[in-house]
Amino acid sequence: MNKMQKAIRELAEMDEMAVRSSPVHALHPLSKLIATVIYILVTLSFDKYDLSGLVPMVLWPVLLFQLSGIEVRSCFYKLRIVLPLVMAVGLFNPFFDKTVVLQLGSLPVTGGVISMLTLMLKGVFCLMASFLLMATTPIDNLCAALRMLHVPKLLVTLLLLTYRYVGVMTEELAVMTDAYHLRAPGQKGIHISAWGSFLGQLLLRSMDRAQELYSSMLLRGYHQHFHYADIPPFRTRDALYMAGCALFFLLLRCVRIAQILGGTLVR
Amino acid sequence: MIEFQHVSFAYEKNVPVLKDLSFRIDTGEAVGLIGANGAGKSTVMKLLLGLLEGEGKILVDGTEVRRDTLPEIRRKLGFVLQNSDNQMFMPTVYEDMMFAPLNYMLSRREAEARVDAVLKRLHLEDLKHRYNHRISGGEKRMAAIATILAMEPEVILMDEPTSALDPYNRRIVIDTIRELEQTKLITSHDLDMILDTCNRVILLSDGRIVADGTAEDILHDRALLEKHRMELPLSLMGRQE
Amino acid sequence: MHMADALLAPAVAATMYVASGTAAGISIHKLKQDDEPQKLPVMAVTAALVFAGQMINYTIPGTGSSGHMCGGMLLSALLGPQAGFLSMIVILAIQCLFFADGGLMALGANIWNMAFYGCFVGYYLIWRPIMRSNWFGEGKSAQRTRIIAASIIGCIVTLQLGAFSVVLETSLSGITELPFGAFVALMQPIHLAIGLVEGLITSAVLLFVYESRPELLQCVNPEESETSKRSLKTVVAILAVVALVVGGGLSLLASSNPDGLEWALFGNAEEGYAENMGLDEDNFGVSSKAADTAGAIQEKTSFLPDYAFADNDTPAGTTVSGIVGAAMVAGIAVLICVAGGFFRKKKKAA
Repeated sequence: MNKMQKAIRELAEMDEMAVRSSPVHALHPLSKLIATVIYILVTLSFDKYDLSGLVPMVLWPVLLFQLSGIEVRSCFYKLRIVLPLVMAVGLFNPFFDKTVVLQLGSLPVTGGVISMLTLMLKGVFCLMASFLLMATTPIDNLCAALRMLHVPKLLVTLLLLTYRYVGVMTEELAVMTDAYHLRAPGQKGIHISAWGSFLGQLLLRSMDRAQELYSSMLLRGYHQHFHYADIPPFRTRDALYMAGCALFFLLLRCVRIAQILGGTLVR
Repeated sequence: MIEFQHVSFAYEKNVPVLKDLSFRIDTGEAVGLIGANGAGKSTVMKLLLGLLEGEGKILVDGTEVRRDTLPEIRRKLGFVLQNSDNQMFMPTVYEDMMFAPLNYMLSRREAEARVDAVLKRLHLEDLKHRYNHRISGGEKRMAAIATILAMEPEVILMDEPTSALDPYNRRIVIDTIRELEQTKLITSHDLDMILDTCNRVILLSDGRIVADGTAEDILHDRALLEKHRMELPLSLMGRQE
Repeated sequence: MHMADALLAPAVAATMYVASGTAAGISIHKLKQDDEPQKLPVMAVTAALVFAGQMINYTIPGTGSSGHMCGGMLLSALLGPQAGFLSMIVILAIQCLFFADGGLMALGANIWNMAFYGCFVGYYLIWRPIMRSNWFGEGKSAQRTRIIAASIIGCIVTLQLGAFSVVLETSLSGITELPFGAFVALMQPIHLAIGLVEGLITSAVLLFVYESRPELLQCVNPEESETSKRSLKTVVAILAVVALVVGGGLSLLASSNPDGLEWALFGNAEEGYAENMGLDEDNFGVSSKAADTAGAIQEKTSFLPDYAFADNDTPAGTTVSGIVGAAMVAGIAVLICVAGGFFRKKKKAA
């Protein structure tokens, strides 16, 4: 399987998860989107040393995973992109910040270590939140929510059209890549002699495709207007969910749950 | 219903694609437009749809195809593209089918009723909310036909409706085409399909009409077909030996 | 170069959203004025193509490693700056939403770093002036040379700007302890190499298009090679470009160890750079000698004021009770999972 085929599988997996049914899937896309954004903002707002304050934020995604029935496994697969990046940035911290802030038995814990862990957790939490949003919301519903937020129609339409053709183009390039390597065994990538023509050929064909696509739109009465499926009504329970989430996050942000819980045991 | 009067067309000067083409298709006819690659079949379609402009006169239902009459003309014509991916640009089958009716100012309720009726008629109810990028080639072709039927066109134009389909899906598409009561103009190299679905055949060669007659007559004429780089339909091969 | 959410403070993320959003708004306005309805399908298909094209491995001759294309310059040369910018936005959005490549909150910053520079700076300051100039003389071969020059300079400059923005944004967010200067010295030279390769790939693709369908390229007149006089604007633009290139070169020299890094990156192409569609390069942390300043800025700009922490005596706010509490939270999380599994089983059984 080449990289493009893997990408197609990943897209297919997201699509499949998004159309399942669960209490979370049934919520209005707008309320889910806003809750997710607030969650990420609150997560990011924790101080870089505030590890114990940050930890309780894990409860929301964990709860959502359980309610929606989405497997944690598919989310962690995506961590392979976020974690190396965040870790590489964070790994410098222990070297630059050597202030000992805590003594665990004989083991001194420095500020750098704490801030590195905080950064990594933030990375994981934010990923889980946006993953859960996409795993429970089909792209067309998300676009409907974007329209409700007055994101310009042109951009939303472009997003949907592009999403539709990402699969088609990736598939074509996957086939072309296989065909190339079948005739060029032992080459890791595209040889310099074909740098231009490989993508260029597809690009020219795509221009014809775009023309045909436009014809198809014209022939069905297109006049600069795209009509989309009905936006589902925003119900009380959606508003409640949104408000509930926001309150919960604020609570976690302002009240030091971990300290209080820990305080009951350790004095 | 459709009339071409002395239509000529050239993409580049001095390289004519169509030369003085004249024919008439009456309401209810099913016409197969055949010819070798480069004979000018798709150009005929594009001229009729107003995607290209040529010389001569093209009439649809008595109205000339001109820039100002295009909206009116296109409303009557439904064109099923060869590549369904290029036709189905909306996220789901349902939204794709709603596209044309909504553009023609139908209310959402009316449009939806129309879509449901078409889906029921073609037995595609379970495709309704599927994603266009997640359905098989055969389903995609049927969905593309459904999108066009939702427009309720008076004429259906099809470009290679059976290309790249397996025998089972090809049969479904052929049966569907046969059941459509609209005027039909179909281009294809699948002459067996043309034989099954059309009562009249126009043979194009080098931009000219070289034969125009019943499907029976033309598709049985081995000498004529071979002269213009075609072959007898497979189903007729045995009979003539 | 895709930044993750965790690398940004909310205030920085929001600022970048506003900046990118404004650029997008202006682009949409301009496109609507131009009123070319057939542009939408072209944009969508080209964006999808570039999305897929970013996954192609291009072998770099003589190194055994591979390069990639990001596409900002390519898109603006094909579609023009506004349409190119919007197409780039949706590519980044799809990468962030479906592939976790970049984050939801970091999207604004990513759009700015990758799409804004690539499309607007790349087009108005590099592509258009060069293509309209009469550098390298007249005729087809001069035109070809101009395409190569514009692509390479464009990619290098826009990547330098993008990389610098990544450093700036991360530093302002106060995430890492890596001094600002060191971070810059790490990022810029690497992106010089990446930009050069990307420029070569982009020019190869654009040349191919030029040979077959020159009318598809912006500012390229297939018929007559327009001989415009070099205006003051062009001169300023060229000077700016030269300054940036020289600056990038200097930072290469200044870097303490320029050798290992870029090859480590490219050598890892299969697992790292490639796999992540080009992100490992910002694996180098943040923050300035003004770590305190940044901290102070963050303090002020933080989503919520920190008054709740008055009782914390350590900078970490981390105490033994905090650790115990965190462990308890983890326990609660496990409980939720167990309960969820239990209810699902029950539901299945029922």
